Amino acid sequence: MSANPGGTVSAGTPVDLSANRRGRASIDQVWVWVLVVLLGLELLYFSLTSTGFWGGGSGMLSASSEFLDVSVMALGLALVIFAGEIDLSIGAMASLSGIVMAQLWHVEGLNIWLATLITLVMAAGLGALNGFIITKFGIGSLLVTLATQFIFSSVATAVSGESPPYGFPKAFLTITGTGSIGPIPADLIIFAVLALFIGLLVSRTRYGRSLVLVGHNRPAARYSGVNVSRTLIWAFIGSAVFAAIAGIMIAGVYNAVRDDVGIPLLLPSVTIVVLGGVDIFGGKGRISGVIIASIIIGYVSVGLLDGGSTPLTVTMVQGIVLIVGLIIKISLDRRGGVAFRDALARFFARQHLGKATVSSDV
Amino acid sequence: MTATGQALSYLDQQMPGETGEKARSRLVAILMRREVQLLVALLLMSGIVDVLRPQFLSSSNISFMLAGSVVIMVVATGQTMVIITRGIDLSVAPMLGIAAIAIGFPAQNHNLNIFVALVLVILIGIALGVGNGLLVTVAGIPPIIATLATLSVYGGLQFVFTSGLTVISLPHDYIAVGLEDIVPGIPWLLLIGVGIVIVAELFLKFTPWGRAIYAVGNNADAAYRAGIPVRRTLFMTYIICGLLSGIGGFVYLCYIGSASSTTGTDTNVNLISIAATLIGGTSLLGGRGRPIGAALGAVFLSVADTAIVVLRILPIWEPAGVGVLILLAVVTDRQSGPATRRALRTRHHAEVAA
Repeated sequence: MSANPGGTVSAGTPVDLSANRRGRASIDQVWVWVLVVLLGLELLYFSLTSTGFWGGGSGMLSASSEFLDVSVMALGLALVIFAGEIDLSIGAMASLSGIVMAQLWHVEGLNIWLATLITLVMAAGLGALNGFIITKFGIGSLLVTLATQFIFSSVATAVSGESPPYGFPKAFLTITGTGSIGPIPADLIIFAVLALFIGLLVSRTRYGRSLVLVGHNRPAARYSGVNVSRTLIWAFIGSAVFAAIAGIMIAGVYNAVRDDVGIPLLLPSVTIVVLGGVDIFGGKGRISGVIIASIIIGYVSVGLLDGGSTPLTVTMVQGIVLIVGLIIKISLDRRGGVAFRDALARFFARQHLGKATVSSDV
Repeated sequence: MTATGQALSYLDQQMPGETGEKARSRLVAILMRREVQLLVALLLMSGIVDVLRPQFLSSSNISFMLAGSVVIMVVATGQTMVIITRGIDLSVAPMLGIAAIAIGFPAQNHNLNIFVALVLVILIGIALGVGNGLLVTVAGIPPIIATLATLSVYGGLQFVFTSGLTVISLPHDYIAVGLEDIVPGIPWLLLIGVGIVIVAELFLKFTPWGRAIYAVGNNADAAYRAGIPVRRTLFMTYIICGLLSGIGGFVYLCYIGSASSTTGTDTNVNLISIAATLIGGTSLLGGRGRPIGAALGAVFLSVADTAIVVLRILPIWEPAGVGVLILLAVVTDRQSGPATRRALRTRHHAEVAA
């Protein structure tokens, strides 16, 4: 990962860790509430401006299956980013998984659930490969997953062939895509279960704690007996498997697979994790933030597409949401806040500079 | 005695009468240079493919491959500077695209003068680079996230500007720049690319601004304490990267002859420029790398691309090839790193002793 030299330098002053940690916890909490308010405002706006968005609540719920694949991907990616790494290969992994699952079912004639299981195992293996190369050779994850992204997408294209299969069994479609229990779509249930799992994993288990510690302070993690390599490899397995689940959900929603469906989902999922308040350098953040951010970003696209915007406009708005969100977050956040306030102070008045510096030391 | 002191005294024992050894270690250091490795790999690959497909090294094909590398060469030069500062710029693709369409439409509809177009892309590139620079330095957003956000925003702007239209026909002088050779085998575009790489090399090596870029990438804190304006340096770097992406858009327009709302993004300029930079020996950890390496990386990728086509390997394997190349580049770099450092330390010690 690339560091932020500007921020480091501007912090300048020795950091009081205890005060920092206490401040941080409350800021994380505040951020989650900011996101909740943001989501509320967003849903209100779209309900008022876009006809048919609300649909008595059920319209909105069923629309969620249009974006939950990205949300699932973001959950897996959050694990890796918690550990201070990044996984750029998840988009290609989603494409590859959809294709492999479909081909196992279509060409090999396997039962579709068996095909799904085999695909998930394959994804776990490839995720472990990512993690293994990163930890064994000590190469940055940005680089390794950039490379494996290229490789996975080539393999996906090769496996898919001229006309990738479509028309999956009805039971499969019901469970992974189009089905629903009352007004709640099946995708939402899958997402809820996975989100609960990841949330508990990160906050309540030994693994989750060591994962966050690895992201927060790797030497400290090593000295306190955490197997850093193994922790990282499991994080990459997690992100790969979640990407595979997302790929299979896409197959279920569209009742078809393509070799290029996953790649465009990479950037939104990074956006979600970062907007959700997970520090890109690792070690800080909350899964609840990621979950809410994924719903915010998802409904931005649903709402705007409903209103007749083009996909590229949607991406642009998502980018603006990310920038604005981050600027707010950083100005809340202590370390980045110093950089931001310093800069503002320098732009406006001289006496504020002194004030900003003093308040940052307290 | 400190560990360093022990290491130095160990070198002391090695030193007397070891001039042959010294010369050899210097040779090793040269051979370990990424630019040299790349050149050797490039010649080997071209030679082998030429044996298999004799037309491969014809002057027209060489010209084709060199011209095809220039877009990435120019963009990767900017990317190299950003990566030297430990940053990354994921928004080069839409910056290139916006520049290409911003001059493409006036050129198509109003026969815009080509020199005015060049000035225009530079200004546009600078403006877009300022956006990235502000987010990274003033707002303090990590570069990967800031440029990820501007990738979306600029991509959207590009679409808004085109309003779904495509540039399809250009005045003759643009096409001439894009397609004609100075002498057979050397296209005009290459002149632009090589000129930019040379200027960038000189800038990085001989100006205080250029050296500040390395200093900031090596250790921002130390650079700050040494009186280097860290944030201003970073800001400048992102502007240069935007500027070069803008020129990349100009080159793209001349070479391809068309531009649309997805220009740049659809040919994966972001990742390919990063790949060329890394293959060229620039370290993601900052402080190390050269534009000339990135340029050779761009040529290497272009030649590999063409080789895949003439060898009738399915083009779907081309991305996989790029991926494997990136991994190879990094793994070999890690092996050569310590050896180079050892060689350098020996040389340094010899100079001190002399």
